[in-house]
Amino acid sequence: MQIEHLHDAPSNSSTLMLNGRFDAHETDAFRATFDGLNDDGIHHITVGLGDVEFLDSTALAELVRGMKRCRENGGDLVLSSLSDPVRVILELTRLDAAFTIN
Amino acid sequence: MTDRALQADSTAPLSSLTSALVDANDQILALYDLATITTDSLEETQSVERILAQGKKLLRADELKLLSEDDERDQPSPRMGGSTAVVSVEHTSGDRATLVARRESKPFGTPDKKLLNAVAHMALSAVHTARLHTEALQQAVVARDHAMASELAQRSLPRWRPAVPGTAIFARSDPARTAGGDLFSFAASEAHIDFVVGDVSGKGLPAAMMMSNVIMASNNAFQRHRDDGPAAMLKSIDSWTYDTLSENALFVTIVVGRYETATRTLSLANAGHSPVVFVHEDSPTSLPASCPPVGVLPGIEPEETIITIEPGDRLAICSDGFTEQENEAGEMLGEQLLDEWLLDRTLPTDQFGESMFSQLETFAGRAGQADDRTLFVLDFPGTA
Repeated sequence: MQIEHLHDAPSNSSTLMLNGRFDAHETDAFRATFDGLNDDGIHHITVGLGDVEFLDSTALAELVRGMKRCRENGGDLVLSSLSDPVRVILELTRLDAAFTIN
Repeated sequence: MTDRALQADSTAPLSSLTSALVDANDQILALYDLATITTDSLEETQSVERILAQGKKLLRADELKLLSEDDERDQPSPRMGGSTAVVSVEHTSGDRATLVARRESKPFGTPDKKLLNAVAHMALSAVHTARLHTEALQQAVVARDHAMASELAQRSLPRWRPAVPGTAIFARSDPARTAGGDLFSFAASEAHIDFVVGDVSGKGLPAAMMMSNVIMASNNAFQRHRDDGPAAMLKSIDSWTYDTLSENALFVTIVVGRYETATRTLSLANAGHSPVVFVHEDSPTSLPASCPPVGVLPGIEPEETIITIEPGDRLAICSDGFTEQENEAGEMLGEQLLDEWLLDRTLPTDQFGESMFSQLETFAGRAGQADDRTLFVLDFPGTA
């Protein structure tokens, strides 16, 4: 999985564009990037999942963890441009009701 | 020259030769002892002391000591000359040993330096071996504790199966590692079965510890909400486990169900779990979750799905280790193939469940098991 980071300085928000498989093997890299942003005071983070072909339960737990950390700090983790496999897994688990989705 | 003086003159070379022979013999013995030290002891201090003692004999030194890292900082670079010799050697692992030898009788020469170098290598080898041994022992203790904790957590899964008239149950969970986060549990009387099937996110011991916690909460909910339905039980499990799950960035997808024989009704409350498949005749139907998994948001509000059971109906609940299992070509099993497998009614429930695991093994081939695998089947073969 590749993570592309785009930062918008005026709004102090970031977008992480992911592609490929987001599973248990990739969560360490995601957490390192995500926690780095949080530590820098960035708590409005959009995660682009349009090019993610597979998302397992460990990756879902990582997104939930990120969402909670952002909300605890007055921000949010927003999911955007979902690929079909990602949309299906979010609907099956009803996590679509827990996340803000653009 | 007197006779006495002549006698002393002639015995002097013999005495000197004898002394040299004894000395050489002592050195050979010292060399032998030195060579055997690293093979008969793994205790660092003892080995190093013995090496230094034998090295001192070989070098005919008055003092031979191994410098600590603090001592080393104050030492000049290795040098020779006079009655002091210093040599420092380094292992590929980064371990270092610096030896200092002192001798009053005569200055150290080049052969002495080579000998000191050899002794330093032996001391370094002893230090390195002892460190590896200590690390291996520590790792073995951690591994043993880990294995015991995993076994204890996995034992939380019940070994008994409810025997309620008009039903047949199969339940099996195979963790991907020693223990996993998949779970099931039951409570039953002659008139009903309560059951729970779930999957804690993550793998290994952390997921397994949370799994045993969820089983405890489930068994408690079965007792406390005997007169209520699965939705109340699920809310109870949520209230017991939410904080721990949330604090540890975990969640559990979970289905709580009840079958009542008198009314032939099956009630289910599903928090984020998939796949949950109900098979009526030759038609499998996926039963969706009504709320997110437990641990994601506080205070879930699950809804119940209620089904009136007919003879031959089947409920199957799997963990994602079933549907997301890949074959050697990297293709996932998926829900469509799972649905096809679930239509097989040719075997008794027990054998059918085992055959599902066999088919999954065949499908996976050399791809192997990547995730915890759990299958729960509730058949209604004899419901009239």
